[in-house]
Amino acid sequence: MGSEEKIKSTRRFDVCPVTETSAGIPLKDVYGPQDLEGIDYKDDVADPGEYPFTRGIWSNMYRGKLWTRRVFTGLGSTADTNERYKYLLGKGASGLYCFGDTITHQGIDPDHPLAEGYAGVSGVSIVCLQDMYHLFDGISLEDVSVSFNNPSMAATVVYAAFVAYAEEMGYDLSKISGSILNEPIHLVYSMFETNAKPLELAAKLATDVIEYSIKNTPRWHPIAPNAYDMHEKGANAIQEMAFTIAIMEEYIQRMIKRGYNIDAFAPRVSVFGCACDIDFFEEICKFRAARKVWAKLMKEKYGAKKAASCRLYLSVHTSGNSLTVQQPVNNVARVTLESLACVLGGLQSFDPAGYDEGYYILTEHSALTSLNIHNILAYESRVASVADPLAGSYFIESLTEKMEQEMFKIINKIDDMGGAIKATESGWIGSEMDHELIKEQKEIEEKKRIIVGMNEFTVSKEEEVPIEVGRDRPLEEQMATSKKREDEIRKLRETRDNKAVKNALEDLRGQAAKGEGHNLIPAMMESLRAKATLGEILGVIREANDTSYDPYEVIQYSL
Amino acid sequence: MENSSRKVKIVVAMPGLDCHDRGIIYLSHVLREAGMEVVYLGRFNTPENIVNTAIEEDADVIALSYLNDHLYMIFFPRVVELLKERGASDICVMAGGRIIEEDRPKLKELGITGFFGQSTPTPVMVDHIVKRVKRERWKVN
Repeated sequence: MGSEEKIKSTRRFDVCPVTETSAGIPLKDVYGPQDLEGIDYKDDVADPGEYPFTRGIWSNMYRGKLWTRRVFTGLGSTADTNERYKYLLGKGASGLYCFGDTITHQGIDPDHPLAEGYAGVSGVSIVCLQDMYHLFDGISLEDVSVSFNNPSMAATVVYAAFVAYAEEMGYDLSKISGSILNEPIHLVYSMFETNAKPLELAAKLATDVIEYSIKNTPRWHPIAPNAYDMHEKGANAIQEMAFTIAIMEEYIQRMIKRGYNIDAFAPRVSVFGCACDIDFFEEICKFRAARKVWAKLMKEKYGAKKAASCRLYLSVHTSGNSLTVQQPVNNVARVTLESLACVLGGLQSFDPAGYDEGYYILTEHSALTSLNIHNILAYESRVASVADPLAGSYFIESLTEKMEQEMFKIINKIDDMGGAIKATESGWIGSEMDHELIKEQKEIEEKKRIIVGMNEFTVSKEEEVPIEVGRDRPLEEQMATSKKREDEIRKLRETRDNKAVKNALEDLRGQAAKGEGHNLIPAMMESLRAKATLGEILGVIREANDTSYDPYEVIQYSL
Repeated sequence: MENSSRKVKIVVAMPGLDCHDRGIIYLSHVLREAGMEVVYLGRFNTPENIVNTAIEEDADVIALSYLNDHLYMIFFPRVVELLKERGASDICVMAGGRIIEEDRPKLKELGITGFFGQSTPTPVMVDHIVKRVKRERWKVN
């Protein structure tokens, strides 16, 4: 390429080519007072800590309490994870994050034929009560919050095991805090749909956790719907929040049907796990708009009287999808930008992705870098000093208002369809997401969306800044890890009192046939104490609900 | 004699329990736009059901995708082995997702090609599929 040609080819980078947000909202060159017309400060914006909480859920925001500083964890055995927990707590982490392995999400045990090679591989395997002892050895559950990333029906069992463990350890249940994802509906279009079906049963079990938790673990968040996965599978910023809110209405309506007043449970179910992508201002306004939509819905549709019912807690894992495998060091810049959007958006908790997330689960070095992104933002940059510093900006308030309107349009549309389960089963939500995913990929391919190092500003592998990235375990090691876990569970089956297990499971089976209103958590805890496994517990519940014992229909109940 | 309107028939599938299917959702769209007939199996397949489908459907290509971990080194060779057992080795096998460099020579030896990922332009994929099918399956130039 001649030098003249080269100069010409870079000239198109001299202007900002972007004229709309990622979700397709048109952007003007400049915003002014006229863009605030129709926006009333008291009704639409209000001070931080005041309804509708657009500006944040607390009056002094981070001066009152900083966001919870978490880092993605979950690897290998429960003992490995425990070691990483202790390392992170020693480095300033204030919350722990537990990501389940593939088979825990699937609700199958490590000795299931399809589990071969998967147990304890890309997350931690939780199958029985004993696992909680290894996972939290030496860590006081009254002093740290634990966030479980278990989305499927398995979440019910993980929660039951956690509570049974906390009881056995003598912790004051009213003092343990944290959250569990526990939202299966979204799995149909995002991850492990096999362990979310039938949807009615999955939603019932998730509601059992909510009901049990508000009575017994009052500081726990028993459901934290996974907006993140929907975003990563295509949903744009508006859809991400609108779909999630529509899904949450399913649980709210179930709890109301069980006889609970909205104010009795809403404060505990108002936590979303979202993504934060690279479109900086759109993401900030997404958080502001979602808080407002939630608050209005709780008050106006469900008649909430308590302010706590209208406060939406937002937590984030920064978008893994926005990261590149090319030039991984660039991801530190991306994650920092996304983390800054989280702070300016007034989040309660977030974990910055590791710069090597595109490779494997974080190395100790990338986990430390992620943790220090928290520390730099929280203690060095001074960005957290003032609550909602962007409020009043013509652009920010106008975009927030626009996103709120668009979210409500989708929520109302799903309501007209009969709710989120119906809109899922009909395939509508899934096809909306596919449409957005294809649009986004096309834009990347046509370079309408620039991704540095991937579709533009590329360099050869040799020119990349050298940086350590997480490496896959070699196949043999992966198989050995899984085999070891499989053997542990086989051994558990051989050494436990199988008669006691069977009695407990049969009792659970009987209770599981009692229908929607009968809470299964106590019976699950009883089965766990008798050393029943995740697969067995879900299996008998499925059978009692006219579904196969094994979601893959490979194995049978054999006790 | 092959005419130019003959459509490539391609089975798109992920073996095992990996759930990262963004790639195959987009790929399937692109392949359909390019005029191919896509048999979309999506996630959670066994090598057995992938091969069965490919044979029943008389497909030209099996496109496999895997991202989560290292188990593709068990699933992909198993697909090739099953095709051989069933006398269907003329079905082209291709792979994409996150296939690490060190594993590629072994997979290539088994006749698996492609290894497309996040930054591969889709016309490159389409071109690769069409050329290989014409050369190896349809025996035309």
